[in-house]
Amino acid sequence: MNKRSSSENFRRILGRVTQYDFVGRGDELSRIMAHAEPANAGRGLLLLMEPSAGVSELLRQAYDQIFNRRSEVIPIYFAFTRHETTAVSAAIEFLNTFLQQYIAYRRDEPVVSHSTLTLQDLVELAPPADVEWIEQLVDSYTRLRFSNDDKALVRFCLGAPQRIPAGRGRPLIMLDGAQLADYLNGVVVLGTEVLRVFGRGGFTFVLAGLRRQILAAAHEAKCNFELLDILRLQQLDTTQAALLVEHVARRQHVTISEAARDLLVQQFAGNPFFISIFLQAAREKNASLDSYLDCERLYVDELLGGHLHRHFAELLEEIAPRLDTRHLLIRVLWEAAAGEDQTSTFEGWRKRLHVTAGELQEILQRLHAQEFVNWDQGIVEAGVGPQAWKDYLKVRYRLDVLNDPRALVVADALADSLKRAPHTMARHYKQIAGGGLRELIGRFNCQRIPSVLFDYATFSRKYKGAESDTIAAGLEAEADLLKLPQTVHLASCAAFNSDMRQLTDDERCLLAHTFEDGAYSDAQQVIWFTADLEAKLEVDVDVARAWYERFETLAETLSFTRYQIWLISNEGFTEEASRFLNRRKAFSSSRSQLGLIAERVGEPVPAPVVQTTEANEFLMVVPMGEDNELIAASTAEQIARRLLFRPEAINQIKTAVVEACINASEHSFSPDRKIYQRFRLESDRLVVTISSRGIVPANLNGASSGLEISEAAEERRGWGLKLIRTLMDEVEFERVDEGTSLRMTKYLRQSSS
Amino acid sequence: MDKPSPGLVRSHCVGTTAVVYASDYLNKLTGEKIERECRRQLDCGCRALVIDFSDTQLVNSIGISILLGIIDVAERNGARVVFSEVNDQTVELFEMLGLTRHVVLAKDEHEALLNLSHYETTPTVH
Repeated sequence: MNKRSSSENFRRILGRVTQYDFVGRGDELSRIMAHAEPANAGRGLLLLMEPSAGVSELLRQAYDQIFNRRSEVIPIYFAFTRHETTAVSAAIEFLNTFLQQYIAYRRDEPVVSHSTLTLQDLVELAPPADVEWIEQLVDSYTRLRFSNDDKALVRFCLGAPQRIPAGRGRPLIMLDGAQLADYLNGVVVLGTEVLRVFGRGGFTFVLAGLRRQILAAAHEAKCNFELLDILRLQQLDTTQAALLVEHVARRQHVTISEAARDLLVQQFAGNPFFISIFLQAAREKNASLDSYLDCERLYVDELLGGHLHRHFAELLEEIAPRLDTRHLLIRVLWEAAAGEDQTSTFEGWRKRLHVTAGELQEILQRLHAQEFVNWDQGIVEAGVGPQAWKDYLKVRYRLDVLNDPRALVVADALADSLKRAPHTMARHYKQIAGGGLRELIGRFNCQRIPSVLFDYATFSRKYKGAESDTIAAGLEAEADLLKLPQTVHLASCAAFNSDMRQLTDDERCLLAHTFEDGAYSDAQQVIWFTADLEAKLEVDVDVARAWYERFETLAETLSFTRYQIWLISNEGFTEEASRFLNRRKAFSSSRSQLGLIAERVGEPVPAPVVQTTEANEFLMVVPMGEDNELIAASTAEQIARRLLFRPEAINQIKTAVVEACINASEHSFSPDRKIYQRFRLESDRLVVTISSRGIVPANLNGASSGLEISEAAEERRGWGLKLIRTLMDEVEFERVDEGTSLRMTKYLRQSSS
Repeated sequence: MDKPSPGLVRSHCVGTTAVVYASDYLNKLTGEKIERECRRQLDCGCRALVIDFSDTQLVNSIGISILLGIIDVAERNGARVVFSEVNDQTVELFEMLGLTRHVVLAKDEHEALLNLSHYETTPTVH
């Protein structure tokens, strides 16, 4: 009751969304609130954000919470904007905002925070106890304003909160430098000046800004780092980003499917700014986002003329204010990103851009701050930045440099985005599936594990088909134990050799630096190469040999003298493959062995769960696995009986449903691990649709997944489909953006009478 | 003599023939249990296998692929395989996937054993 009434009394002042709709930054908000506590008085908090990671609403929400608390802490929120053209004008605006928000808090009148007020208005609005010092402050400001000493004026304005007399509250200054501020013209570098004033003690403040920019400014200003705390603000994780999409879509009245939601999350890599402006664009265009096509159409519109376009265009204009340099910059950036060699020298860039060294230095500083390039002394690496930035560069390059017809650029951009979407999702689903492997190897810390779990052939001989209790008892009794090393560094193999990315996903091919017994010496150092191979049946010797040799070559290239190769496959390895690997002392495990290893090393990673609803039909959702296809088959039987199908036909339907469920489950990397079943009764037929989310199987969309799937595996998948086609009268794959949706029809008269 | 196996698959031996009982749903898990039991029986010297499907209501394609694997293993060991008491729907599936080309179907266990007795030469008890 108290909680509810407190929520009802909560006044939204600067926040643009309700507390309920503010998702994804709960921990960061708590951290800022903790910074307002007396224990942190006089300390600064640097909020280091990835570009566009969305900090402004976080600070506004913090402002509202502190305002509503009515404690001794007085919240002051100020955002440096691109509209302020000089450091002086920005500092004056800060002074005005500070006084306005101070008075709003002292009078407990939030509306004062929003009003347009002059300094004289503020003096008149000041509570009697504050009139004197505020009058003095305004007088001093007026004198300094016309003194022609810009630096002194900037420092005076920024230092105004220090003039609050004792006993009138303690200000928490929250400075939103997301759009800041080094770009402001004039002799004063504002970012550095802000930190010079605030970062040398005395103030309790939060300064948020681009991570590369703020840290550099803090060093430049010679801040006292003992009085600074750091909070890193990254993009949202998948769950939080999906929640954000749902909230923003609801607020903007945009209908969106689950598949489209997940695509946006992945395509924008959890970037809250991109997600928000994209959904805003959907609302403005009254667009529904039900399919990948809906999303990509809007995305291309946005790249060419919407919010995304404006965002990147403004950034580019700030980075390279001169139009001719900007065109050359687009060319250089895109050609570097699209080329094989993405690194170039400073001098190389200078010649191509036709600018002086000083001008290029400014341009590169800004590109580096926005993380559009990595600039380290003489070397510039392009081809970095979010996908939306790369897509923007590409369309600008084609339009502005190549002068391609706009219609062609639009069509190509749309086609490219549509073709990329399933791959984006497939990569994500595989990352989820492979994420457990990274966690597992990362937890290696000298645990003792039965050796048989790293030897598929022996495991298969001893335990395949045995009850779990039997396996557990057997493993408990195993005397031959392998002592795992301690993992100290773990990365994708592709991080060491980008060619590996052609063969498998990053998360399924890992390279770990480990030490045996946790002893850090050359003799104890062992590199673990691990690959999780995608195959439906036992992996044969050719595939095993190819992977072994790849790792051997990589080890040689990287001069690793001691290494351990570990191959994993869902169903293990053929006898020949096992013999090959055993002879070379390589480890081999099946998925079930991997699960047993995980149990012994630490907790398994839980699978994500989402729900769905449908109406007007018999709809059932069952989790994958645990023989749940029998539940589906049983339901099909009950429904088929209503149409008076003969027993043989009912059995055929049941078998087809079972096979469809198995197809839906097998290696779909389904994000929700659910099978969706729709049963529609018509006068002369039963229509059953079995769907799942996840990867579109390569044999259904005609595309190759690029992964090694043996012919035998394909054959077995073919068996299920072959059975279904034989048992049912009509079988059709419905077009879906991801996963599979198989519609099967059985006619009453034709097949059962 | 009945001999319950650790995998909880029912089985017993008649001379050099092992009779292994499939469960009500033949899928990957139960198929692998049957495979394990069949391998165990062959390792113990059995020269023929009868897989009894009297309890089996439903079979899926993965279960069938495992049955093919069992037939392969038996062939490599010089053992014969007979499937007994397979219901009509399952026979239909076996035929569709070509399983019946590799295995003899018997009406029931008795007929299966009778069929195999023609080939049995040396009785062994184990």
